[in-house]
Amino acid sequence: MPIHNLGYRPWNGTLESTSTRWTVVAEISIRRAWQSSWLRRMMLFSWLPVLGIGILLFFYEQAEESGQAGQGISFDGLKLALAASHPERPDQVREVLERMASKTPDERRHMFWSLIMLNLIRRSQGLLLIAVIGIIAPPLISQDFRSRAFLLYFSRPLTKVQYIIGKGATLLAYLLTITLLPCLLLFIVGVLFSPSLLVLKSTWDLPIRILGTSLLISIPAASLALMLSAVTTESRYASFAWFAMWIFGFLAYQSVVPFTQGNNTTVIQCLSLYHLFSDVAGWMLDRELAVVDIQTRMIVLGLITTLSLAVVFRRVSAPMNI
Amino acid sequence: MSALIELQNLSKSYGTFRALSDVNLTIHEGITGLLGPNGAGKSTLIKVLLGLVRTNAGTGHVLGHPLGKNAAQVRTQIGYMPEDDCYIHGLSGIECIQVAAQLSRIPSSEALRRGHEILDFCGAGQERYRPVETYSTGMRQKLRFAMAIVHDPRLLILDEPTSGLDPQEREAMLNRIRILARDFRKSVILCTHILPDVQSVCDRVVILAAGTVRVSDTLELLCRTPNPSITVQVTGDSRLLQNQLNDQGVASFSVIPNQIQVQGDAGELNTVLWQAAAAANCSIRSLSPAKNSLEQIFLDAVREVHRAHS
Repeated sequence: MPIHNLGYRPWNGTLESTSTRWTVVAEISIRRAWQSSWLRRMMLFSWLPVLGIGILLFFYEQAEESGQAGQGISFDGLKLALAASHPERPDQVREVLERMASKTPDERRHMFWSLIMLNLIRRSQGLLLIAVIGIIAPPLISQDFRSRAFLLYFSRPLTKVQYIIGKGATLLAYLLTITLLPCLLLFIVGVLFSPSLLVLKSTWDLPIRILGTSLLISIPAASLALMLSAVTTESRYASFAWFAMWIFGFLAYQSVVPFTQGNNTTVIQCLSLYHLFSDVAGWMLDRELAVVDIQTRMIVLGLITTLSLAVVFRRVSAPMNI
Repeated sequence: MSALIELQNLSKSYGTFRALSDVNLTIHEGITGLLGPNGAGKSTLIKVLLGLVRTNAGTGHVLGHPLGKNAAQVRTQIGYMPEDDCYIHGLSGIECIQVAAQLSRIPSSEALRRGHEILDFCGAGQERYRPVETYSTGMRQKLRFAMAIVHDPRLLILDEPTSGLDPQEREAMLNRIRILARDFRKSVILCTHILPDVQSVCDRVVILAAGTVRVSDTLELLCRTPNPSITVQVTGDSRLLQNQLNDQGVASFSVIPNQIQVQGDAGELNTVLWQAAAAANCSIRSLSPAKNSLEQIFLDAVREVHRAHS
């Protein structure tokens, strides 16, 4: 056919697999989300804490190398590093330093690296996670309802499960970029700052723990956010519900827990998503941290994920039944 | 002509509402007009064909696949143009087409090129780079049509493809449908309320009413009158011509002003007609075999259902 012919042309190429169609949904949603300048700023900002913590790692490795680490709170570099990571809890810093004093250098390194990564996930990345999901997730499904894009999606070889996987993958891609990747980078930085590559022998489990922690946090959070997006056609309602859930949960925890000293407060603690995720991250990353009743927390996370995905599936199926 | 779609005793209910009831239908290659009043079950039938809803009863085949099975394979071969707006918010027209192509399993490297080809065919210019939300109704129709054909499907299901278009664009859209069917052997199911469009492009007509198939036949057979008659268009007073014909024992009746229908064979009536026209001081503008109007067929089918229900 001549190149200037603007008529219809048949297409005889090779078709791609049906099972990978979710990647198209994910790709387009990632691209759409990236159009938000707030998100771009936030993603950039999410890597700044890594710089600071990288410097702490440098100090720590310098201290270890000069053989001064483990000499209790008199070691200024280590004290500074821990104090920086736990500014509001000096007693915790003291406790950690005491725990470290009785360990071998390899155990001490493992403990220190775990602590700073836990701290990174719990604090800066945890808060950023809430904000990033609050920007990306609300329009993900609700906007498709509003613009009736589901007709475009589901009249093609795409199943509802693939659609949900695609939307979930969008959130996971961003969440893992602000949780998993910075921690993995820190791990690599730590290895590069350490005296030899032999440190991998004592710290090999950390990347796996980081991956586990990131997934344990990201999957329930993404499911919950998708559910909120699926139950409304107005994304601002989903945004409001998302932030309200975190803020009111946190306030409920802060107001109830101080009055329940000595009692089993697991259920109340699960009310606050922030504390729930924080406890699970602690359990995954710090081998010595005793989290009471972790099973209940894991069940709650499992329930959040399952129920949220069930609601999303039901809502996505709904437009086809009218 | 082979059957693309065969449905037997198909029923679908939403709660207590019966959307489709014992539908028996065969759709052949070519262009089929799917007509019916609002709520007749057309959208449900389309969703059933696309494998989007499960039926309560019935069997059938769609493009050689058992009904409700291999939905992904079926949808790869069907291009669906919905009646309502559907787009991905924030994308430009060409990006929407690209996504539609990728979702239909066209590799991403090919999808963009294919998107441009199809938009050229649909007569879209530089507006393809604008966000879809800024499009006019006509451009949105073009975009939906382009999304339906981007993956070169075997069967096109077009829901109101010409609604909201100006006469020029409407004709262009119908031409595209004709080209696809005639030159590229695409089969088309055209759902519309605009009956002239159906008469202009369709080979067959299916009329649904209250969830049942009332009429399913070729347009030619449906429009044929039971007795041979001719439609005569005249310039002048058609009542005078009618009187002249009646005086000569030829039955005739007025259809619309300046148009009468005369019962009898065109060959036999030819001389009588011209003589009567001369006597009545009228000029004959055209003579054509009389046909049942699609509008009348449609109304009869729908009235029949209403009568049965009442």
